[in-house]
Amino acid sequence: MLEKRLLEEILGIATSSGADFAEVYCEYTRNGRIHYVNRRVEAISDETVSGVGIRAFRGTSTVYASTADISRAGLIRCARSVAEAMGECGEGARVMLTERIFPNIHPARIQPSTADIRFKCDLVRLACDSAYGYSDKIVQAAGNLITVDHTIQIANTEGLLTTDRHIRSRMSVEAIATNGTENQSGGCRPGRGMGLEFFEEYTPEMIGREAAEEAVGNLDAVYCPAGQMPVAIENGFGGVIFHEACGHSLEATSVGTGCSQMCGKLGQVIANEKVTAIDDGTIPGAWGSVNIDDEGNPTQRNVLIENGVLKSYMVDRLGSRRMGMPMTGNSRRESYLYEPTSRMTNTFIDNGPDRNEDIIASIEYGLYAKSMGGGSVNPLTGAFNFSVNEGYMVRNGKICERVRGAALIGTGSEILKDIDMVGQNLATGQGMCGSSSGSVPTDVGQPLIRVSKITVGGR
Amino acid sequence: MNFELIKAALIKALAEEGITEYEIYYTSGSDNSVETLNKEVCSSSSSVNGGLCLRLLKDGRMGYASTQLMDEGEMGELVIRAIENAGATEKPDTVGIYEGGEEYEESRIPEFSPIATADLRRAAIELGGSLFDADERVQNGTVSQAISSGFDIRIVNSHGVDLAMSCGVNALIGQAVVADKGEMQEDYSFKEYSVATEGEVISEIAGEAVKDALSKIGAGLVPSGKYSIVFSGKQMRSLMSVFSSAFSAKAVIDGMSPLKNKLGESIAAPVVTITDDPQREGSSVGLTFDAEGVPTHRHEIVTEGVLNTFLHNRETAKAMGAKTTANASKAGYASPIGVRPHSFCIEPGEKTNEELLLMAEGGVYVTEMKGLHAGANPVTGDFSLEAAGFMIRDGKLCEAVKSFTVAGNFFELLKSVAALGNKLERGVQTGFTAFGSPDVLVHEMSIAGK
Repeated sequence: MLEKRLLEEILGIATSSGADFAEVYCEYTRNGRIHYVNRRVEAISDETVSGVGIRAFRGTSTVYASTADISRAGLIRCARSVAEAMGECGEGARVMLTERIFPNIHPARIQPSTADIRFKCDLVRLACDSAYGYSDKIVQAAGNLITVDHTIQIANTEGLLTTDRHIRSRMSVEAIATNGTENQSGGCRPGRGMGLEFFEEYTPEMIGREAAEEAVGNLDAVYCPAGQMPVAIENGFGGVIFHEACGHSLEATSVGTGCSQMCGKLGQVIANEKVTAIDDGTIPGAWGSVNIDDEGNPTQRNVLIENGVLKSYMVDRLGSRRMGMPMTGNSRRESYLYEPTSRMTNTFIDNGPDRNEDIIASIEYGLYAKSMGGGSVNPLTGAFNFSVNEGYMVRNGKICERVRGAALIGTGSEILKDIDMVGQNLATGQGMCGSSSGSVPTDVGQPLIRVSKITVGGR
Repeated sequence: MNFELIKAALIKALAEEGITEYEIYYTSGSDNSVETLNKEVCSSSSSVNGGLCLRLLKDGRMGYASTQLMDEGEMGELVIRAIENAGATEKPDTVGIYEGGEEYEESRIPEFSPIATADLRRAAIELGGSLFDADERVQNGTVSQAISSGFDIRIVNSHGVDLAMSCGVNALIGQAVVADKGEMQEDYSFKEYSVATEGEVISEIAGEAVKDALSKIGAGLVPSGKYSIVFSGKQMRSLMSVFSSAFSAKAVIDGMSPLKNKLGESIAAPVVTITDDPQREGSSVGLTFDAEGVPTHRHEIVTEGVLNTFLHNRETAKAMGAKTTANASKAGYASPIGVRPHSFCIEPGEKTNEELLLMAEGGVYVTEMKGLHAGANPVTGDFSLEAAGFMIRDGKLCEAVKSFTVAGNFFELLKSVAALGNKLERGVQTGFTAFGSPDVLVHEMSIAGK
């Protein structure tokens, strides 16, 4: 990390051409990856990510420069390039930094960067062995253990100087099942903002088995019929529906530029009254949690929608300037190479009033989406899509045959109103969310919900 | 530290550990971009980036370690980490580090001339203004961006291979937001440019982005059913980007490709020929060597529907008794060696756009597909994707349609291609890979709409 005096000098240079605010973001990250396939550890790689990003604001105009050259000369050059892009250089701001450390609410017990490599290899092996052990139809189990040990330092012209360290661990298993004529795949990819102790709770055996179950189950699935129908979407990664259909449209990235279907709707009813949705970056050890965001603000619990009424957006510093609203601790970036922007952390629909069994029983003909894949959205129009990894037809309130190849599409504003039943088994699932500031870990979540009608794409 | 100092520090550390077989893969780059929002410059950014990946052989196992931190202490650490990683790797290495000795083709890629920040700024402002001038329905939220991105690669190994290449891309992007009849829509256009072609490219982008955004206004729904579909070249190349992994010999060996055991067989309609040409005409990025340092050449992967070869690196070639196609690749500088195409394209056919549309009477021209990262499964070939486009009647594009899904299986689709357009739509390079396709007509595809 950089010395205080050097940071003060950099901030002075960055503000020497008329900027009214500047910030330095310094990163040192150790990424590790173990890849297991064909019943053996195939490749192990690790990476040191190291660099600095300097940003300056004048009003709502920003300049950002990043460099992997963290020598004093490299950093001064980088700060000058920021100032020169903003205007004629003159006197910079005099900055007095005061160090402030925020409490670590996500402590890691088993540090992945220093844990024994064979111990880590064995975790992935156990997961893949468990997939093979589930059924003799499993012909391949490919596993990855991904670990991140991320230290950041943030300083800005408001005098803030802070550091934080964040640990993440994630395992993924992709299983391939065959019936002799065709192959099907299944996956399981849990992660937490924790050390390797996470795998004591969510064991490698569970991960391998879940991947294998999905792959084997898909062998017997028929293609999903196409058309509009009611859909019950299960908890956990099912919450990707809210993430895509609404979450992105509540980020200042799109609201602040007028490019969101949710602009100007604060205080209005935008969803069924059973829907309360929350973004909470403070959940201990959750995949999308961090102590501080990438502008140095502590994360917080933001109620986005309460009983159907829009209560809050997710706002970063630039969004705050554009929208005249306070920051909400949602500024995030993949690395120092990216200028930060407003992003989700752990976003979920909260438990509702309906019993889960009543939700399935209420569907005469529809789809039960038990496990979801990812999706995407256009925040301007709200048009979203996401895929169903494990689905079943529902007839007369009973779960029937398994189906595959289904996609769900719609628009956010419509679907929020069409969520007409909300169950009580809230759980989260993990994803990597891509946007202009790169790929960041986010949790999605919900209890079982019913959408009264949605277009199901199938054949 | 410059590369020569880094290399010297590494070689010293390698010698101290008794490592004799190794490769240093080094990338460095510099990016500049200027963006406008509503005609005003809202942000500019620059980056000086790079990283180094060390690959070494220890006791018959390959170990990797990478860093962006270029100092002497880190180089010593890197060697220790790579040795430790090799020690825990269980797969025996079968090919070692590339020994060299082969001829490289001359580079046909034009030399990269980065565009200065002041010129990027001027072009972004000009494009921002042109987007608004193109139609009075263009709204706030409209964005333009000018980018200049250059990078260098260096591969040095213990067998004396020492390769270097520089390339880069200058590009303009216009994203138009339009409002009409109470509805907002957007679309974008992305094109490479140079200072000499700036004016022409700006007017093309502004025209296309605004026209495409306006064409979506008032889009209707399409009834569910089976339709003839013309996938625009841009959409077909997106499908190719997802399903190209099936052509990788690595996926075949790992049991993750539906093309396993299909060599020499017909896997596509006879009109389909697929090539991988690292130095395709018109490319700004193209390598004369792959990520192991092996010389690259053009390969015909599928000829008139018949699968000729998988894409190989040296290891997969040895495992399958084939010759490498020089498709060794890295997803990023720090990634282990994998397999990816260079410039993977369905070669254009003979039909004009009008002829294709006449063959697809009552069908749908698909101009947008979303969610490919989730709704398309390369292991099975199945896809079900959100789409938008236009109805086809009397050989013409008629009303816009949106919010439907198109579903099928990519490998069945390849077999049922009825005709190909005569114009290749080649995408901009992502990393070292690009995809391309002409418009593709397929009958009897499933659509779910209203």
